[in-house]
Amino acid sequence: MSKRVTNDSQSLYYKYPRSYFFPPFFTLQPNTTTRNAQFEKWSSFILSYCRHHRIWRLSIIDGLDMPLFHNSELRKRLSLHDAREVVDWMTRQEGSERAEWIGKEGEKSVAWIYWRRPEEWAEVLGDWVEETGQKNTVLTLYELTEGDSTLSAEFHSMEPAILQKSLNVLVKRGKAQVFGSEDQQGVKFF
Amino acid sequence: MSTRRPVGLSAFQNRTSLSTSYATHGATLRSTHVSSLQTQLSVFQSLLHTFALSHAETIKSNPQFRAEFARMCNAIGVDPLAGSNVRKGAKGGKGSWWAQMLGGDVNDFYFELAVRVVEVCRGTRGENGGLIAVGECKERVQKGKGIGGGMEVSDDDILRAVKSLKPLGSGFSIVTVGSKQMIRSIPKELNTDQSTVLEAIQVLGYVTVSMLQDNLNWESARAETVLDDLLSDSLVWVDAQVREKEYWSPAFMHDAEDT
Repeated sequence: MSKRVTNDSQSLYYKYPRSYFFPPFFTLQPNTTTRNAQFEKWSSFILSYCRHHRIWRLSIIDGLDMPLFHNSELRKRLSLHDAREVVDWMTRQEGSERAEWIGKEGEKSVAWIYWRRPEEWAEVLGDWVEETGQKNTVLTLYELTEGDSTLSAEFHSMEPAILQKSLNVLVKRGKAQVFGSEDQQGVKFF
Repeated sequence: MSTRRPVGLSAFQNRTSLSTSYATHGATLRSTHVSSLQTQLSVFQSLLHTFALSHAETIKSNPQFRAEFARMCNAIGVDPLAGSNVRKGAKGGKGSWWAQMLGGDVNDFYFELAVRVVEVCRGTRGENGGLIAVGECKERVQKGKGIGGGMEVSDDDILRAVKSLKPLGSGFSIVTVGSKQMIRSIPKELNTDQSTVLEAIQVLGYVTVSMLQDNLNWESARAETVLDDLLSDSLVWVDAQVREKEYWSPAFMHDAEDT
């Protein structure tokens, strides 16, 4: 167990948490207290992993083959059922609603992973608008997340759906206005 | 019989005066001894004082130096933490020795550290059942979170901080499992079987029912009971993705990694 980090195609090194190398971590614990502590650990691991690899939506099935749920070094893998349990815990209040299932109710196969919740993204967007003096200018949603001017911003390449949710927060607060049709949406910040 | 025993009344007189003079002489000797020791002690204390004052910064900032200093105090019978629960100024109390020496900073240092230790122990109770290695506790304190960040501390500091909690009757204690010192933050004793199993885990990394049967000659029922108890106290975690269930201790997660 000398290699602490695994190189991923996407980006620089990601440092796995210590529990990732603890074999029982991949078996959901029978004791409730322990299990809650375990959920807590899984949740913060998933969040930091997804943040690092910029994963916005996580498919449980795909996750099973990613280093996320599969530690090839230890030959341990979170089972499909357990992975779903973990993410389900994250969607609940105890998990601070750090995930949200996508699709039909009860399907539970793909989820948004909120290393920042839409309200938190709204803050980030608001700050960016403030800092770059974009108030009262009109931006397309596309250039907001894919444009060159936001390359260094944390929300660059954000999933459109999460962007929508975040903008809705700003709209409700009267800090932004979204207009246009499906593909050609624009936003104006106040 | 070469010596002649004194006989007659005068002999009694002689004997009494002899013993009195012995006694007086003894007393004189003793008092000179005491006074010289007292002088020595006061000289020593003032030296220690000077030392502590001139090295106060180092004592506060360098964990190794602090440990050595504390060890030296202990060796000469000065307990730095004795009376540390007596606050300065309260009823004209003098406060602890450290507080007098170092203006309370070092003293406060241990209280602050104790608070962090309690935080770490409470925060990790769910995962380790209230048993944490001193080393791990130290690491977590050093990492720290929030404003102010971590503290630069040694194992010795942690032990001292835990001891300083004693007057509170907090149920924090230091227990030794195998070769390791651990902090127990739940006032629940481990029974012999439980400690034996934890020790085995420390040495082997994990245990299974059959390992316990083979190595300790335990009946399987006994092994299962102990493991179930440990499991329900959150002291061990189970790995079910193997042919026979393996039981691991989160308290030794550390060691397994280092090797």
